[in-house]
Amino acid sequence: MNLEKAYIVLGFLVFFLGLFGTIIRKNLITILICTEIMLTGANIILITVDSIIGGSDAQILSLFVLTVAAAEVAIGLGLVMAIFRLKGYEGSSEITHLRD
Amino acid sequence: MELILFIFLSSWLIISVLGAILVKNPVHSILFFLSSVLATAGIFLNLGAELIAGLQLIIYAVAIVVFYVLVITTIPWEKVKKFEGIYLGEFLAGLPFIVLSIVFIIFLINKYDLGTIPVNVDMVDNVSKVGKSLFTYYLFPFEVASVILLIAMIGAILLGRKEE
Repeated sequence: MNLEKAYIVLGFLVFFLGLFGTIIRKNLITILICTEIMLTGANIILITVDSIIGGSDAQILSLFVLTVAAAEVAIGLGLVMAIFRLKGYEGSSEITHLRD
Repeated sequence: MELILFIFLSSWLIISVLGAILVKNPVHSILFFLSSVLATAGIFLNLGAELIAGLQLIIYAVAIVVFYVLVITTIPWEKVKKFEGIYLGEFLAGLPFIVLSIVFIIFLINKYDLGTIPVNVDMVDNVSKVGKSLFTYYLFPFEVASVILLIAMIGAILLGRKEE
């Protein structure tokens, strides 16, 4: 395994650790942090592929990923604060209104 | 030298991510996430993407982490206490899936060659190359990204408004 493949494996590992975090965490804010970790893993794979083929297109894609991450944080934290203010809890196991 | 840098930065990143998904307190989790952002910026510098590394530091480590800490300080702590930590059943159920997926992906990556394209290295630096491509060929997606940020700002204001 050469070093570029090791970088791609590192990106996948970070992505799956973030996915695992979104499954197991109780707090809504830490679930948002885990989605940020997933986006970081995707960025690592994009930059690695870009350094292999020597272009600049994947770096622009990862720039747009950063933009989407900023928008997602603004909306997600607004939703968490609205849920907490209206209902008074923020555990992910108690928000079951769609199921009931 | 490349290998030593890779081992140092990747172990730093993996330890930070494990801390961010496993530690109990949300503030400690955010501090581990800040550490992982710094490690990621180091990896981007090591791969030759200086502009993305700087933007990663500015956007993630300054804007997003400060925003998280600001939101956490507005939440009363005694009501949050029972929602700290992880679900143990989901941990035990999800662990085989995650390990199996990682092993499968490592197998797939090792199976095929990456197919390196021979690059004629031009001595243009990274920032000017990305900037020229961003403001000529990718101009329309860049404007769409600004509209996305504007809509996110309006949505955050509407969600955070106090009900009359």
